Amino acid sequence: MAYYNPESILTDAQKAPCTFELAVPGLAPLNNGSAIEHGTKLDLPLWMAEMLAVSKPAGPSSTSLVSLDMPPALGPRVLNALSADPKSVELRAQAQWFYGLGERMLDLFEEEKTVELLIDTFKQRALEIADKSQNTRSTQQGGDSGDFMGGLDEMERQLFRAAHDGSNAVKKWFESSSRS
Amino acid sequence: MAMFLPSGLTPDEVGFLCEAEEVTVIPRQRLEGLELLGGPTHALNPPFPTPLPLWLALLLKKQRRANISPPPWLSAEALTHILDFETDERTAEVLSPAPALPRATSTAPLEGDPYLSLDSLEFSAPFAKNAATSRAQQDALPYHWLELGHLLLTHASDDFDDPDTIRKLLRDLREVRMSKLRKGFKVLGPGAGIKMNGVGGMEIAEVRGFVEGMVNGLRKINRSREESRKEREAEDRENGLGSGSYQDDEDENML
Repeated sequence: MAYYNPESILTDAQKAPCTFELAVPGLAPLNNGSAIEHGTKLDLPLWMAEMLAVSKPAGPSSTSLVSLDMPPALGPRVLNALSADPKSVELRAQAQWFYGLGERMLDLFEEEKTVELLIDTFKQRALEIADKSQNTRSTQQGGDSGDFMGGLDEMERQLFRAAHDGSNAVKKWFESSSRS
Repeated sequence: MAMFLPSGLTPDEVGFLCEAEEVTVIPRQRLEGLELLGGPTHALNPPFPTPLPLWLALLLKKQRRANISPPPWLSAEALTHILDFETDERTAEVLSPAPALPRATSTAPLEGDPYLSLDSLEFSAPFAKNAATSRAQQDALPYHWLELGHLLLTHASDDFDDPDTIRKLLRDLREVRMSKLRKGFKVLGPGAGIKMNGVGGMEIAEVRGFVEGMVNGLRKINRSREESRKEREAEDRENGLGSGSYQDDEDENML
């Protein structure tokens, strides 16, 4: 996590649902100006949610300020769909930085099963990406694979670009070395 | 992002390095040996075949001062043989092996042996001698096979008996090997490696970006699990299950 890395900043800006355990009058601006009571639910960006979830204003033995829940992108519905068929889920519709979100949330909640599932998902989708990157024309024209490409999260898009750039650079070398 | 240099060698750089490989040249004109930065070249004395760096050989070829005799593996017969190996079902998992390395000349370093003396240096894949000269091994593809084959076929095609067949065979080989490499990606994991014996330089340059991205991604996702595993191990150590020497070190530090 580099400090000046836009990717990690954008990853941290994704929201997670939080439930306040205490009334916090000072944080009213977060809730569009209305007061925050015990039990208020808000979607907060990860960086703030994490700090609030670990802070215990009334001493170390007290409850924390908010309790953090898994965002819907990592909810059971999505995870079930992923374990059924990783390639059919539009990750981008769940979260723009889906894997980044998963990484951050799994830092806070230790869930071996989810880690396993995400790794498997990424692997299977990456192999699909490798195949698709060889044949960009059909992906741009949409159709069958167009849906898959549209559903890639940012990390997968970078992977696609890397794979595509690699074979493109080789093609370019072949062309340029034939000319001279 | 465009700001960073790509890690590793780009295909352009691999192609450049390939031009330093030696090929066998049959000169048509005399030429004294040249004192180049990379070392002196052999004097050209027609019609005796002489090894020259590929870039110089191509230059002389363009000026019609020399012919290049293609390495033995770049013949229709040898390539067909290698292609058979690549497409055989029994060897579907592996790439065809790289040329055999010269026999190790060094022995275990004895006392007083100069470190890295010339006779203790061993050559490995990209630096193997005679990979492209007429003395090359016939039944194996050297590290720069794809680049070298391409350069020779485009710039010295009249030195081949049957350039079209060879071109076709090279293209087939490239596709077969590429699809094998891709299949190999399945075993990639947060901690797993991939065995790529016999892979060529250009093939690595082509897939490097993807493999790197995939492994980094897997590591990132696996990070939380890895950290909890480390914590568990640290706890085990504290509970006395770990090695005693580690704790001894800590005690000493505290004193």
